[in-house]
Amino acid sequence: MLAVHRDVLNIVQAKFLSAEIVRSIHLNVFTLEEVWSNENRILALVEYNKSFALFVLIASKQKPTSISDLSVETVIPVDEFFSCDTELVEESQNHIIFIITYKKIKRAFKIEIGLESSNFASEVIRSKEHSLYNKPSFVWLDKYIGTMSQPSRSDVSEQDDLPITRHQIAQGQTSINRESMLKYHLKLKEAEYTQKQEFTIFVGTWNVNGQPPTIPLSNWLAFDDNPPDLYAIGFQEIDLSKEAFLFNDTPREAEWHKFVTEGVHPKAKYKLVGLARLVGMQLVVMVNNKHYPYVKNISVDTVGTGLLGKMGNKGGVGVRLELHNTSLCFVNCHLAAHVEEFERRNQDYKDINARMNFRKSPQAIKDHEQIYWLGDLNYRITELTTTQVKTLLLRNEMVTLLKADQLNQQKERGNVLLDYEEGDISFKPTYKYDLHSDTFDTSEKARPPAWTDRILWRGRGIYQVAYRSHMNLRISDHKPVSALFKSEISVIDPIKYRKVHEDLIKKMDKFENEYLPQVTVDQTEVVYDLIKFREPQSREITIANTGMVPAEFEFIKKLDETSYCKDWLRIIPYCGNINPGNTLYDFDYFVLNLLIVGEKCDVKLEVNLETDHQKLYDILVLHLKDGKDMFIIVSGECQKSSFTSPISLLCRISVPVMQVPEEQWKLAEKLESSVRYSVPRELWLLIDHIYRHGMKIRDLFESSALHEEIIRIRDWLDFGSLDPFPGTIQAAAETLLLFLSYTKDPVIPYELHDTCIAAASNYQHCKQIILQKVPDLHRNVFLYICLFLQELLKYQNDNGYDAKTLASLFGDILLRDQIRNSKPQASRGKANFIYNFLVNDLSTSIIPAK
Amino acid sequence: MARDYDHLFKLLIIGDSGVGKSSLLLRFSDNTFTGSYITTIGVDFKIKTVNVNGQKVKLQIWDTAGQERFRTITSTYYRGTHGVIVVYDVTNGESFANVKRWLHEIEQNCDLVNKVLVGNKNDTPDRKVVLTEDAQRFADTMNIKLFETSAKDNINVEEMFLAITKLVLKAKLEMQERQNVTQNDTVNLRKTNKQGKKKNCC
Repeated sequence: MLAVHRDVLNIVQAKFLSAEIVRSIHLNVFTLEEVWSNENRILALVEYNKSFALFVLIASKQKPTSISDLSVETVIPVDEFFSCDTELVEESQNHIIFIITYKKIKRAFKIEIGLESSNFASEVIRSKEHSLYNKPSFVWLDKYIGTMSQPSRSDVSEQDDLPITRHQIAQGQTSINRESMLKYHLKLKEAEYTQKQEFTIFVGTWNVNGQPPTIPLSNWLAFDDNPPDLYAIGFQEIDLSKEAFLFNDTPREAEWHKFVTEGVHPKAKYKLVGLARLVGMQLVVMVNNKHYPYVKNISVDTVGTGLLGKMGNKGGVGVRLELHNTSLCFVNCHLAAHVEEFERRNQDYKDINARMNFRKSPQAIKDHEQIYWLGDLNYRITELTTTQVKTLLLRNEMVTLLKADQLNQQKERGNVLLDYEEGDISFKPTYKYDLHSDTFDTSEKARPPAWTDRILWRGRGIYQVAYRSHMNLRISDHKPVSALFKSEISVIDPIKYRKVHEDLIKKMDKFENEYLPQVTVDQTEVVYDLIKFREPQSREITIANTGMVPAEFEFIKKLDETSYCKDWLRIIPYCGNINPGNTLYDFDYFVLNLLIVGEKCDVKLEVNLETDHQKLYDILVLHLKDGKDMFIIVSGECQKSSFTSPISLLCRISVPVMQVPEEQWKLAEKLESSVRYSVPRELWLLIDHIYRHGMKIRDLFESSALHEEIIRIRDWLDFGSLDPFPGTIQAAAETLLLFLSYTKDPVIPYELHDTCIAAASNYQHCKQIILQKVPDLHRNVFLYICLFLQELLKYQNDNGYDAKTLASLFGDILLRDQIRNSKPQASRGKANFIYNFLVNDLSTSIIPAK
Repeated sequence: MARDYDHLFKLLIIGDSGVGKSSLLLRFSDNTFTGSYITTIGVDFKIKTVNVNGQKVKLQIWDTAGQERFRTITSTYYRGTHGVIVVYDVTNGESFANVKRWLHEIEQNCDLVNKVLVGNKNDTPDRKVVLTEDAQRFADTMNIKLFETSAKDNINVEEMFLAITKLVLKAKLEMQERQNVTQNDTVNLRKTNKQGKKKNCC
């Protein structure tokens, strides 16, 4: 191990209690969350009583030299929720990302690859394995969570741990996706608020063979007597130029669009809904003006399946829209050419379906309620020669011909346009004609005629009323085709719709409210019996889940407080998860039946008094994740005790504390009454007892007494008694240590500790501090104890104590830290300070009390 | 995530213990009333979506404990509130006298917030001690709308909640208007006109 590493390990260890062992550390850790801050972090794996936790410490210096350079940022218990992983860093081969996940918390750290990282990682993994076999308790972490710089525990839960924080609830982001639920249920109830109305839809397709529009289109588009409600007109090969192919830009788009606009039925006005074009494929969708307000969610997309499988010389273009409450999709395609390429055509069809993606929901072609598929599908007539086809046509043997049609064959085999319907074909093949004529190809190639141009549909309520070709449009080698449909569109009744909608909203509100976590607590006021020093009392409250969902509860801290409860209280467990009872729940109809047999959780609230209070009172906030907060009031009266009282007060009263009249107590508290004793009566009683009976006892301060014995001695001191001392000599010694450990202020005031430690090597300086800086009564107590210890040392052959041992034992007590054991590294200095007073003659220092 | 509402507001119900805050909420959200009194020890909330001029407004309504001893804790729940409903009991003069303190509490904890004053339990005339005229005069001086309601008999409850919702909605729309105006000014000054109108939703 590197020396640096060892030094830092010692400092990190000093941050913890001696029983909390730092198993492994990793230096120079950088977090990935804040790229702008280069704070140096240290990871420390700490074990206490077989439970492990990972600490993230922030080091204020690159190489910390004292524990004040370290602050706890995050504490992560290593339990079943803990996991760790590593990831490679892209830009650096020397580093690796170390990822810690705990419930919803995820932290990532960048560390250097090396012995240190592999050792550390394997220690962490081992500790994780260890946690699986044990049931570790993490109560010991509570004290660190209180001191966390940030985020503190409740911040963690508010920010990271909860998928939905209270702030987010206020944003309406609850776990139920109300929008999609509303949509789903509205669709289910569609019949209640809509009625079917018949709309005429005119669908046309024409391969124009690269010719510009020169003839009016009204013979095709306005063929019927009555104007349709909607037009979907598809063209193929509007431009065969290289520019159109390479740059997908052609003046023909506008030209054809203009001709379509001019060619629609004269008895109605139309408005463009959508125009999609890819190279030579163009689709124009128009709607009768009067319906335009009911068209919404228009979207277009194009898919190229030509050269390289993606160029736009072949493929499809689509327009989708919603007309009233029905979704419509029109696809105009131009599939691969040549007789033998039918499989390529099937593939093109599949690619168009797979790749066409409208950015409005539903996005895929197949998810629309009505789909109209048109275009130059390019399927030919096989196994028949041109002559045969022409002969069959002359004989009007359509059945034979249609049997030889590749589209019919492929469709029958399920290879293309599955579930699509097509009307009976009674028109002649639409390809291939000599230009400006109705004569089939007379060129050398003499291609067999084919029904390349088709219109199919899929969906409910679509009825085709006409399917024909338009022979008198002769500018192309294809003839245009059209189909007329009577299609059922659901039209919303606004009044009925509002009613259904409002009902659904109401039900969803109800649903959301009922799905909030609910618990009851059997008592919201916890009152303790008279609370006495070092006599813990516990009360149990029972939290029962009375809701429909698991309730995750946690006691949270109130604003401006550092912890979720006061230091005199322990809450076990302070958080948990309670399952609901059996619920019968029918999703579709929002019927909610509840059998309340929810699970329960007992929470222990233990009070332990170690500082002076007259009354204990606090309001605990029991928070349900995503739900309400409940308040629990804990309170109790405290019994006065000489333990935890100030030395200055005890010296002012001449009788046991329980016998002091209230008035006198108050005066003494305010230091307004006169000093009666130079040291507290209780201290004298304890030391006197030990002096008379215990000086020769070996390991006097090391043996521990029974709890009841300590309590008896406490009462003997506090109430006053003529009975003999009610405990063993060892109990007296322990009580003495306790008494000195819990006086309201330490014997040496906090503010002098650093001075004392600094002066420890020089007795004269130490003496000066005691004589000049320590208040009179505290000085008395200090010297009294030192003299007693000197006396004890006279019997060191019997009791086995030496000055060093006693100095270190009493150093930590007489100069105790404000937060217990917060500065363990100072212990040696304190012991050195005390040592001076155990080995030097104190007689010159003693000043009688004024 | 897509939303099924146009606006989301947080409302808060405050007032002395026992004036019927929870009952008002229960009447509004579930259209139920229970005669037995269970004092609220904590804060709870319910969801309710209402339609105001064709706009769907989702309300998250927080019901707070009224007891004096919880006041410092409950005040922390004021944060982020859009509207506050201050409730007193028309049969309890003290609860009306305390309204001032509750209004003060709002001032301490909220910046700009819409308020309504609600005299609940307005269903037994012979027990009424807070006269409508007195309450109205007070409401006028404080510039707050007054509603006298009964959660028990379902009088004026829906109207009151809708009124506070409208106030909050109006304030929000006005705020947006102002923001748009200032935004447009900036745009003009900088001569960039690409910044489209941004829709601000809470």
